[in-house]
Amino acid sequence: MDTLKVRDAQDVEQVVRAAIASEQPLEIIGHGGKRLIGQPMATNALLDLSALNAVTAYEPNELIITVQAGAPLADVLSLIDSRNQQFAFEPMNTSSLLGTPDIGTVGGMIGAGLAGPRRIKAGGARDHLLGAHAVSGFGDSFKAGGRVVKNVTGYDLCKLLAGSWGTLAVMTEVTLKVMPRSESERTLVLRGLDDLAANKAMTAALGSPFDVSGAAHVPHSAFQAAAGGLAELGSPRQAVTLLRLEGITASAVHRAAALASALAPFGAAEVRQDAASAAIWSSVRDIEPFAADGALGAWPVWRIVCPPASGGALGQALARDTGGDVIYDWGGGLIWAALPPKPDAQAALVRARVDAVGGHATLLRAPEQIRRHVDVFHPQPGGLTALGERVRHSFDPKNILNRGRLDRRVAT
Amino acid sequence: MTIMMPASDQAVLGRRDSIVAALRAIVPGEGVIESAAEMIPYESDGLMAYRQPPMVVVLPDTTEQVSQILKYCFEQGIKVVPRGSGTSLSGGALPLADAVLLGLGKFKRIREIDFDNRVVVTEPGVTNLAISQAVADAGFYYAPDPSSQIACSIGGNVAENSGGVHCLKYGMTTNNVLGCEIVLMSGEIIKVGGKSAETSGYDLMGIITGSEGLLGVITEVTVRILQKPETARALMVGFAQVEAAGQCVADIIGAGIIPGGMEMMDKPAIHAAEAFVHAGYPLDVEALLIIELDGPGVEVDELIGRVEAIARSCGSTTCRISNSESERNLFWSGRKAAFPAVGRISPDYLCMDGTIPRGALPQALTRIRDLSEKYGLRVANVFHAGDGNLHPLILYDANKPGEMDKAEAFGADILRCCVELGGVLTGEHGVGIEKRDLMPEMFSEIDLNQQQRLKCAFDAQGLLNPGKVFPTLHRCAELGRVHVHGGKLAFPDIPRF
Repeated sequence: MDTLKVRDAQDVEQVVRAAIASEQPLEIIGHGGKRLIGQPMATNALLDLSALNAVTAYEPNELIITVQAGAPLADVLSLIDSRNQQFAFEPMNTSSLLGTPDIGTVGGMIGAGLAGPRRIKAGGARDHLLGAHAVSGFGDSFKAGGRVVKNVTGYDLCKLLAGSWGTLAVMTEVTLKVMPRSESERTLVLRGLDDLAANKAMTAALGSPFDVSGAAHVPHSAFQAAAGGLAELGSPRQAVTLLRLEGITASAVHRAAALASALAPFGAAEVRQDAASAAIWSSVRDIEPFAADGALGAWPVWRIVCPPASGGALGQALARDTGGDVIYDWGGGLIWAALPPKPDAQAALVRARVDAVGGHATLLRAPEQIRRHVDVFHPQPGGLTALGERVRHSFDPKNILNRGRLDRRVAT
Repeated sequence: MTIMMPASDQAVLGRRDSIVAALRAIVPGEGVIESAAEMIPYESDGLMAYRQPPMVVVLPDTTEQVSQILKYCFEQGIKVVPRGSGTSLSGGALPLADAVLLGLGKFKRIREIDFDNRVVVTEPGVTNLAISQAVADAGFYYAPDPSSQIACSIGGNVAENSGGVHCLKYGMTTNNVLGCEIVLMSGEIIKVGGKSAETSGYDLMGIITGSEGLLGVITEVTVRILQKPETARALMVGFAQVEAAGQCVADIIGAGIIPGGMEMMDKPAIHAAEAFVHAGYPLDVEALLIIELDGPGVEVDELIGRVEAIARSCGSTTCRISNSESERNLFWSGRKAAFPAVGRISPDYLCMDGTIPRGALPQALTRIRDLSEKYGLRVANVFHAGDGNLHPLILYDANKPGEMDKAEAFGADILRCCVELGGVLTGEHGVGIEKRDLMPEMFSEIDLNQQQRLKCAFDAQGLLNPGKVFPTLHRCAELGRVHVHGGKLAFPDIPRF
């Protein structure tokens, strides 16, 4: 397979135009770490963006950073960290889950749009992408959005690009919102709650005025495989329910105490602070208990998004019916489920249960032979599918970009 | 009127009677309005300089009726202009002479309040404020707060991606909606998103939000609600120079503080507001900042101290801190009444809405001052300073020949200046007809074509709200053509491995 290592946006245009002319679909990659996600593609050339790796402009006082899509995310994170700033949506690092070498590029972060625990407060990747330059499947460079936070000029194409898995356009440069890091953080730890009680505790916390920025629950069986910051919590025979409060120190301390007292009916809360708290949430963000090199590394992993208050019952039923393990984030609105291997990764069962509560499920980790025969992304009702397809067609009518990644019926 | 709207379809106008009859068959009784006198309230929206009676007004009250109306118009090739409360400041709901005006005013019911999932499911005609009021007993509110929130509808908020004073900290409409039901021009009813944090598939909710009624008619919205902060306090800080106020804004953000709101007014705006509401604004300053901090008391008190110190280091000449809710509201009263206050000192005014990078604030003000002299028109400036969103109010008298044209030219120059300084044409009011012809200042033809292709995915015949947003309309077939460049079959000469 040809790998075309582009040097600039013009190269991208040239490659896409040639691909259109020769009817050869392209797979778009940065570091390639997320190639294991999605339906296996019908592409026979790689468009490699890793050389588009410059930071174009970083303006901490404007709360924005403009970088080329192939910029290594690790470098960009450490750059903004040096100014005490962050991507508030807490992008997930999929490398431990997928067993890939590094965290990837900024383009990959936006294309995948996998937000971490703080999504409940700060929004997702789509809420932080202010502008982009991209090359469409017409082979034309176009601009979307701008470089300021408040902008309603024309359609908000950035929303479509975020989470589109490279199927609409090849982003070459993006402008992202950055936010100040919190001065300090506190995590309340409740022990021994079952999934339903934990869901109730998280619902109470998120319905309180205490500005909770993380609400997760790790049932005891999933906790046994815990690594990193979660492992430090000790006592693996009990489930842990975790609630994060961030802000200036006085505020975080005050709200942690107030929330602990509001949640007293669910048990006494322990408190972890700052570095220990951060380590817990990075472990939750990356779903370390399901790491590729851990005890559950061979199990397929589903990422389920659902109405948060129905998460507890949904996750509990899935774990019970399959013998799998689940971890809850977003107050129950995000369920990670590692299920014992089956030829269909238990897709029929998962989807039936998820549909019943109005959620959707993505098979985020599974071997290629399973992904060939199972819908990785949640099937949508007919009208919505057709509209989504027309939207895709409006960017890439010849289906040149990441052909078939979202829909296995296309990859023929 | 300087804005050209699409030519009227005489054949459609000739069939007006049968169209009215067909609409009556779908929406019986008073839901169809066709007399000239009764249609007057629908002739314009918040951009009142532009008026146009529609062909007919229809006010359905069910999604099924909306679907039937659109299906009928789709099949008959009749244009449709959707309308919420009609508070758009950019002419988004301006009727067309040959179009059906589809009003959503009867969709007034909140369908579900779900505290556990922290969402409200509502019909689109419910006002922004009514949503907050419906959940206030439980301590919740809906965060985006456009100044028209008492009147503007949530459907219109979604269509325009409305902002407000608090969007610096809490985001715009797009960051606070989770799902909607939308009826396409074909009559097809589509549900997007719901009570989950994210939709499946492409983020259609994100593209529908801010699409200015060009993609579909919204018949239901799911918004997320938040718990009200424990307390809020405000500072009112005066500066002898605009530059110092701009520096203060930058330093507050630079210190990692995101206030709930951070507003700036210049001297003419301060004077107009003070004369109107007597908020106690200092009259001897060039710029006034109102900075609101919200959260738990301990947090607010500490941040007030930090902000006060930053203001002092930037050379503030006056600083008052609210010690009660009534005092906080008093600080805001002048800012909130700034538009009507300016209305008292001028027969007419144009409200502009560009965004610039925060750091360019002093430059922008200088440029606006120069333009004010050039055009011989006064201007009062009100800004959402925290996010660089400018609202220059251009004062003019429509009864003086040529003065409205002059005001519009002045406004266009301000927006060009915003783009030159690295900003955009509109921060929260929308493009509509007002900024339509300025779109090429910000976007190339290729950029605009890509946006119009997306329109084609929703409305291939271009029947829904035509004449808004895009300066030049292209046929979808023409836009969809893929040009094969040079017929090359091999990949170009690019490093490969």
